[in-house]
Amino acid sequence: MQLVIGNKNYSSWSFRPWIAMKALGIPFEEILIPFGTPLGNPDFKQRLAAFTPAGLVPVLIDGEVQVWETLAIMEYLAEKFPDKRLWPADRIARAQARAISSEMHAGFAALRGECPMNIRRPVRERALPEAARANVARVDAIWSDCRTRYGGPFLFGAFCAADAMYAPMVARLNTYGIEVGKAARAYMDAVTALPAWTEWRAGALAETWIVPEDEADWPTVLSA
Amino acid sequence: MKLVIGNKNYSSWSFRPWIGLKTAGIAFDEDVISLYVEGSREQILKHSPAGKVPILIDGDVRVWESLAILEYAAETFPGAGLWPADPAARAHARAVAAEMHAGFAALREECTMNFWRPPAKRALSAAAQANVARVQDIWTCARERYGAGGPFLFGRFSAADAMYAPVVQRFIAYDVGVSAPARAYMVSMTALPAWREWRRAALRETWVIPKFEYDWPQVPRLPAEAA
Repeated sequence: MQLVIGNKNYSSWSFRPWIAMKALGIPFEEILIPFGTPLGNPDFKQRLAAFTPAGLVPVLIDGEVQVWETLAIMEYLAEKFPDKRLWPADRIARAQARAISSEMHAGFAALRGECPMNIRRPVRERALPEAARANVARVDAIWSDCRTRYGGPFLFGAFCAADAMYAPMVARLNTYGIEVGKAARAYMDAVTALPAWTEWRAGALAETWIVPEDEADWPTVLSA
Repeated sequence: MKLVIGNKNYSSWSFRPWIGLKTAGIAFDEDVISLYVEGSREQILKHSPAGKVPILIDGDVRVWESLAILEYAAETFPGAGLWPADPAARAHARAVAAEMHAGFAALREECTMNFWRPPAKRALSAAAQANVARVQDIWTCARERYGAGGPFLFGRFSAADAMYAPVVQRFIAYDVGVSAPARAYMVSMTALPAWREWRRAALRETWVIPKFEYDWPQVPRLPAEAA
C-alpha cells in the first residue's frame, strides 16, 4: 500500500491518514510530491495525475484501488483492517466519531483559512476574526465533550480515525498560540506525545520548500 | 428513527440523507425546522451540539453531518445496499461522496439549492465553472467504470447519488449546461419517487430565506402544481 502526500510542513489533509496509519501500525510506503509554487502548478498536477483523477492529495493506493479524500481513506482502512480499530467499537461512540470527523472534513473554514498548518512556524499568537474564534470554540467543545464522556487520553479513549482527522487542528492551535480549555489542552498534549506525531514533525522540519500561500506572516517566513 | 431536517426548498444537506434513506427503503419520521428564523438555532441545538441540520436520532444514538448519517444507516441496515457491494467500487463511491462533502465551495455558494426557482441561467465564476467540470468528470467516470448495473453512479442507487442529489437540483435551477451523459444521469435522479416526494413538499413550503434568493426582493416561484 502506498500513500501519496504533499509537503509535511503544510499538507494538513496528508497528515490525517498518515498519522492514522502510523499510530495504528498499518504499514505503507510514502510517496511525497512537493506542492511547488504557485499552489496548483502544472508540474505538481501532472505528477499527481498519475495517481488520482481528483487532483488532490492524499491518495491511498492499494493495488487496483485508489482512494482519495481523507475520510474515504479512513473508511477504506477501517474495512480492510478491522483489527486496527479505526473507529470505536461501541456503536454510539462510533456514530459520534463519524459525525465529528465529518464536521472536521467539511467545516471550520474560517479557522483553516486564518491558520494554515505550518509545522515549522515558531509559536506566535495570531489575532482571529469572530468566525474563526467561533470555530475554535466549537473544536474546544468537541474535544472537551469527548474527553469527559470517554475518559481520554484520546477522543474516544484509544487513538482512532477521529483523532487523525483533528491532528492538523492540534498543530494549528499550537502554532498560532490559540487558547483552549484545560481538557482540550490535555488532549492536545496526548496527541503531540505520539511517536507518529514526532516523526511527521521531524519530516516537516527537514523540508526546505516554502509555500507563500500558507505562510500567515508572508513575506516574512518565521522559522524555528 | 427520526431525521431532523431544514427547509426542503433550500436545505441541501438535509436532502442528502433524506433521499438516501427513502430510496434505500429505510423507514424514518421527519421533523422539519424552518431555518434562519428566530428560535431555529435553539431548536437545532436541542438535538445536536453542532447546531446544524440534518440530525439522525435513533434511540440513544445521535448522528449529525450528512455523510456520517449515511455511514450510520449503511452500517445499521446492511441489507439496504447504501454503498456498492464491490470493495473497489465502494472505495470509489466513498471518495466521491467525501469530495462532495468537503468540496465545490464556489458552485455551492453561487448556486444555492432552490427547488422552486424557475430554471434560469446565472453567470458563474471560473472557480464555479471548474467545479461544474469536476462534478461532470466524477459522474461520467463513475458511470463508465461502475455504472453498468443501472442508471446511477454505481449502477444501483447508492449513498454517493444521495450526496450529489442537491448538485443535480442546482444544475437544473441555474440551467447549467452539461454533457449528454451527465444530463442522462440527472434525468434518472429526478425520476426517483423520493425525488418527486421531496420536490412536491419543497414547492409547497412558504418559508422564504432572502439570502438564498438571487432575485430578492423578487421571489420567482414555480407553482406548487408544477410538482
